[in-house]
Amino acid sequence: MSRFNPAGEAGQSLRLVDELAALDSPMHRLAPLPKLLLTVLYVSLTLSFPKYALSGLSVMALFPVFGYQLAGISLLVCFRRLRFILPLVCAVGLFNPFFDRETLFFLGNLPVSGGVISMLTLLLKGVFALTAAFLLIATTPLEGICGALGKLRCPKVMVSLLLLTFRYITVLLDEASLMTEAYSLRAPGQRGVHISAWGSFLGQLLLRSMDRAESLYSSMLLRGFTGELPRSFNSAVSPLSWTAAGICAALMVLSRMYDLPALLGKLLIGG
Amino acid sequence: MIIFKNVSYSYPGGRSVLNGVSLHISPGERVGLIGANGAGKSTLLKAALGLVDADGSITVDGTGLSRNTLPFVRKALGYVLQDSDNQMFMPTVLDDMVFGPMNYGMSRTEAEALADSILSGLGVAHLKHRQNHKISGGEKRMAAIATVLMSTPKAVLMDEPSSSLDPKNRRTLIHTVNSLPIAKLIASHDLDMILDTCDRVLLIGSGQIVADGAARDVLGDKELLEKNGLELPLGMQRCWTGKRG
Repeated sequence: MSRFNPAGEAGQSLRLVDELAALDSPMHRLAPLPKLLLTVLYVSLTLSFPKYALSGLSVMALFPVFGYQLAGISLLVCFRRLRFILPLVCAVGLFNPFFDRETLFFLGNLPVSGGVISMLTLLLKGVFALTAAFLLIATTPLEGICGALGKLRCPKVMVSLLLLTFRYITVLLDEASLMTEAYSLRAPGQRGVHISAWGSFLGQLLLRSMDRAESLYSSMLLRGFTGELPRSFNSAVSPLSWTAAGICAALMVLSRMYDLPALLGKLLIGG
Repeated sequence: MIIFKNVSYSYPGGRSVLNGVSLHISPGERVGLIGANGAGKSTLLKAALGLVDADGSITVDGTGLSRNTLPFVRKALGYVLQDSDNQMFMPTVLDDMVFGPMNYGMSRTEAEALADSILSGLGVAHLKHRQNHKISGGEKRMAAIATVLMSTPKAVLMDEPSSSLDPKNRRTLIHTVNSLPIAKLIASHDLDMILDTCDRVLLIGSGQIVADGAARDVLGDKELLEKNGLELPLGMQRCWTGKRG
């Protein structure tokens, strides 16, 4: 897809997530419910670290790294998909060094302020949370995630909305991609859609997407869809999945409770 | 199997599409539905499935179409949409195929076994785990038909099934359609395909059935076809030229 067709590129990215979720690996075979709970636990624990707990937080990197290895998915794929969000995450703590100037320690002769540490902590928290969320969707089909949410008694409307939004967003992006291509063929030399055409472009996009979405919904209705996912999507969770998730959860909690790098340092060099 | 009695439908804007249509399709019958653009072919199919709220009476396999009977009617009638992209909404062919039966209470294992047998029967077992957006138009059409057959329908309705297919895929489609042992109602502009797949043809014009007869009779009537914005199928043109010569 051309780099001048962001809608097409976005559609391809979404489909890539579907393709990744269809792979087979130990991580993919882990049942959706324990995987979802584990991700929520991981994100909660990661975000709960104090603002100066950089060394303790760094241990949390092991989980996504290990998870991606186990899933056979390169971390680069994740960073490439998240390249538009990551700068925003990085920007969150950008001003901390200016507000918190108290020196915490010296790195050689260089004073390191609390602001720098808290900025790095915030940055890592964001990156870890995003990579964990991406790992979940890249190793679990959306129907599985929705099934797990159903098991957690999430409102059915919310679960259906999530499922349909994900399915329909590709419809919207497909239509936008086709229209952008048609536009660019008749507007050679232009980058993107000229502002004067935005109104009609968006109107047409909405109408065409609604038409296609209606056809898709009809197709779902004709195959017995009643607004709820079939029960079979909520497949039973094997004891092995629970055991694996339990071990990971215990390790995560331990990593949160104790500053493992500091303990290891003390053990090795004393102190 | 499918009975329409005085069925009418108008768009919300007021334009009438179906005007008192009455017809009867027997079990196992192979019926072609032809007509110019906007004649009401697709609307007629959608009316049978309750996708448009038409006036009049529609009966499918002995059950009158109403809000309460929609699940039964929609299970009894398989519908192959004109655009397969609109029909296949799950990531893979298999996911799409098992979606319907699982909605009707079948377990995933049973549904997968059924999918295997249907895909093998259609000669497209290799499509099972393929991503829907990565298969060709012809493969997608076969997958769409396989998806519809998963609910073991008593009749299948097809809207322009041969559109945008290359000759080889079109030939495969015709072979597949002919091998289905259930009633078929096929709406199409591809009159040659209708000639190859149907015994009976309904010609719809201005929202009414203007001709109903044996495929060769209706498709061989040049004047009737031209009056309704159609032309003789290529297969019949040779006969017509032969007759005149």
